[in-house]
Amino acid sequence: MFKPLALGIAISAAAMAFATPTLADYPERNIQGTIQWGAGGATDNVARSLTPHVEEILDTTVVLTNRPGGTGVIGMNHVMRQRPDGYNLLYGAENPQLYQLMGLADFSYDDMHTVNIIGQGLVVIAAPADSPYDSFKDVLEAAKENPGTLRMGGTGAGGLPSTVHAMVNAVDELDVRTVTFGGDGPGITALLGGHIDFMPLSLAAAKEQILGGQLKGLAVLTQNELESLPGVPPITDALPDIGSFLPWGPFWGVFAHEDTPDDIKATLEGAYEQAVNNEEFQDFLRNFGAEPLNLNGDEAQQYLDNWQSVTAWSMYEAGAVETSPEKLGIPRP
Amino acid sequence: MSKKPERLQAGERAFDWLLLLFSGAVFYQAYQITGFSSINSAGAFPIGLSLIMIASSIAVLVNHRRKEKPNTRGPLDELTSFLRQHFPINVLVFCALAVAYLAAIQPFSFFVSTFAFLALTFIYLRQGKIVSSLIISAVAIAVIYVLFTLVFRVYLP
Amino acid sequence: MSDTISYLLMAWLDPQLLALTAIGTLAGIYVGAIPGLSVTMAASILISFTFSWDVNHALALIVGIYCGGVYGGSRTAILLNIPGAPSAVVTAFDGYPLAQQGEAGRAIGLSTVMSVIGGLFGTLILASTAPVLSDLALQFAPRDYFLIAVMGLLLVSTLSGKSLARGIFSVALGGIIGLVGMDPVTAQGRFTMGSIDLMGGIHYVVVMIGLFGVAEAFYQLHFLSKEPVRQKVDKIIPAFSMVLKYLPLSLRTGVIGVIVGALPGTGGDIASLFAYDHAKRTVKNPSKPFGQGAYEGLVAPETANNAAVGGAYVPMLTLGMPGDAVTAIIIGALVIHGLNPGPMLMIETPHIFWFTVGNLVLANIFLLIFGLTGIKIFTKVVELPKALLIPLILVLCVVGTYSLNSNMTEVYWMLGFGILGYFLKIFGFQMGPIILGVILGPLLDETYRQAMSSVGDSVSAFLLALVTNPLSLILTSVIVLVLLGNTPVKGWVVGQFQRSQ
Repeated sequence: MFKPLALGIAISAAAMAFATPTLADYPERNIQGTIQWGAGGATDNVARSLTPHVEEILDTTVVLTNRPGGTGVIGMNHVMRQRPDGYNLLYGAENPQLYQLMGLADFSYDDMHTVNIIGQGLVVIAAPADSPYDSFKDVLEAAKENPGTLRMGGTGAGGLPSTVHAMVNAVDELDVRTVTFGGDGPGITALLGGHIDFMPLSLAAAKEQILGGQLKGLAVLTQNELESLPGVPPITDALPDIGSFLPWGPFWGVFAHEDTPDDIKATLEGAYEQAVNNEEFQDFLRNFGAEPLNLNGDEAQQYLDNWQSVTAWSMYEAGAVETSPEKLGIPRP
Repeated sequence: MSKKPERLQAGERAFDWLLLLFSGAVFYQAYQITGFSSINSAGAFPIGLSLIMIASSIAVLVNHRRKEKPNTRGPLDELTSFLRQHFPINVLVFCALAVAYLAAIQPFSFFVSTFAFLALTFIYLRQGKIVSSLIISAVAIAVIYVLFTLVFRVYLP
Repeated sequence: MSDTISYLLMAWLDPQLLALTAIGTLAGIYVGAIPGLSVTMAASILISFTFSWDVNHALALIVGIYCGGVYGGSRTAILLNIPGAPSAVVTAFDGYPLAQQGEAGRAIGLSTVMSVIGGLFGTLILASTAPVLSDLALQFAPRDYFLIAVMGLLLVSTLSGKSLARGIFSVALGGIIGLVGMDPVTAQGRFTMGSIDLMGGIHYVVVMIGLFGVAEAFYQLHFLSKEPVRQKVDKIIPAFSMVLKYLPLSLRTGVIGVIVGALPGTGGDIASLFAYDHAKRTVKNPSKPFGQGAYEGLVAPETANNAAVGGAYVPMLTLGMPGDAVTAIIIGALVIHGLNPGPMLMIETPHIFWFTVGNLVLANIFLLIFGLTGIKIFTKVVELPKALLIPLILVLCVVGTYSLNSNMTEVYWMLGFGILGYFLKIFGFQMGPIILGVILGPLLDETYRQAMSSVGDSVSAFLLALVTNPLSLILTSVIVLVLLGNTPVKGWVVGQFQRSQ
């Protein structure tokens, strides 16, 4: 018990040495921003595009650090262990909402304060350009004719493809071989070489390949066709029942320690709301294949709860996880 | 290539037996992952690798038979000769200071503990020269601060 | 055509771009030289800086950092036996012995020139055959990556020194270290023993810094009273005849570098290992035995890892697919700047391609200038009294490891690996095979499971695919030939052949 105490003393001494600790002055030093995923990934790109606008508004420097590993557990665990003074923020993706279900960790975003849900990524199911399948319906039919032979690209348990697979299996049947890659990039490379037959991908990663004609879009995971991706049908054309799970997609958000003082929470929420609204950033998000959300407070909580309930139950019903969401107190959608 | 068989080092037999033991522990841990459930599972490769470790450490032990025993009397003498050879007082003190340094970083902040570590080891290894040791430590700290904190914006604990 | 030339020369004629490339190269050399500070990290920090700049300025800076950083890793490998980056691990095998013999200056000079030759060769291949090479790279199926990793495993015979059994043990140990953490397929913990910190695995740079840097620091404590080696500071720039002599080797290893670099998923670290192995197998009379300061042992990896830079740009510029971690960040930078990296990049914005090619050439010229100046000051590091150098090395290892992921636990691991490395050193184990295992272990595991999943877990279908697909057949044959070449079978076949004549 000596370590935390000594740490506390050291930090408070340092804080006192820096300036008089009146909360109204927040922020009076650099803020540490922890990115849950590695450099160059989607979360990293979003965080690094948004942060300069926040720095301008708060008139401070946000030092961004990537702490990847363990599906983001490492980065989130780090921020939760820091002092709740508003000087440590987490830039995270959707994964923590599934930690308890998958037994990765015993916390989720419910254990942090949501500063902002920045936006939501769109999802597309893609196949090589010379694929015999022209729509997701063809894939479903082919998979039923020869169960367990089509090769679907995945990114591991809890990844986006596995969740989409679970959603499909919750309303229909899709029996395929899953080939796991290190992420969307390696998966797209395998698609281009024809080493797998199809793969659910984030639109951000696959958009250029589809528009350039190197990949074929089979379906977008939305209710309607997208303006930015004409000619690719919505998945509800092939599977009307999946509509109850939509809209769904990976999201990115900014989070602070739960016990952060209320006025600091308010300052942060205001600053991030303004920054996400910045036109330059909005353009970036759209070009990136994502939908801006800019949610905080109750709206953000509602979004997080809904996302968790839809995803957890579809995975459970498809048999992708053994723990019942009910046991974790996740209500049915 | 000399015909004379090589002599085993002091402690070599004990170390190689430890490696075999360690390989066994790794195998046990690997088996815990998924058992022998499938040739394509999370545990398949770890089990394979741990079997290779066991096999190769046995091969190392078998090779001992071709070598001469170390020139020591009994295990205790072998241990002391091993320590004398590879763990002279310098290595032990440095090792202890390094461990203390790492343990101190989080409670006492990086810069304070680094300064203390550098100053102490300099003074110990150079047997005195206190003033110049302190100055060099301070310069090193300053360089690290400028390079890492200011230029590369690495947040040091 | 005139457009192409004007794009090519863009970075050469604009003083601002020229300056940024120069600054980037210089910064890259130092980032690369400090273990733990990676080019990946520097590039991603820069993206925040360059957010409001013009895209060409950002690209110029990153190209410089990239070229300088890949080269910079060799500096600390030669001077302190701590590779600044994974792609410089091999450079330490012969570079550090050279420094111990007082030839640090010449070793740095030679590796600078060879890095530049490799870098220019890689750029040339990029400019001339990018579309062909990227088509080739796409043909590599998971099983082919698996075969490449197996080929990599064969390097163990090159790296293990006297005892092959110890070498094989070390590779397997390295593989286990590489697999620690969450299984990427099923999210089960492997060897994590319930620790959250271990879920993310042990980064191979942590292992590298511990085994090389800290173990070496402990080892050097035995020689505290020994006078440091006086470094020869003449003939730092290698003679033209010397460069000419090693040119055939460097061009061969350059080809290895470009191809391995162009494959998404493998990069300069693996390229330099293959190159070293190639040198050891083909060079019959090295300047000194390999591992004791052979110039060939510097030429091969240094050409290959810099040639891999040009290779890594191939899939990035033609397909929008990253060839390695740094090009992944460059793609991110292009996205943030509103460009669309993808197959259309070369058609919509052809200037990006030719600008990058011109910029790479420029960065390599700066590399030559910055690499060959200031060597004398650097070699002074080796002449520092050991009592000062050893504690400073340890602090450098700590800072380097911490800056990797800002994780104190990794620093503890680093020291642990240092102590383990010291024991292994005492009992005649080599560090190279452990690093080989750490790098290849996860690649083998991942690609093996991808290949098995693709054929529905059928062993017979997997083996059949190895001999029916032309590319896989070539790779399989190479592996079989190398294996046969290392066993008595070779002697038997040769004997039979001679008898029949």
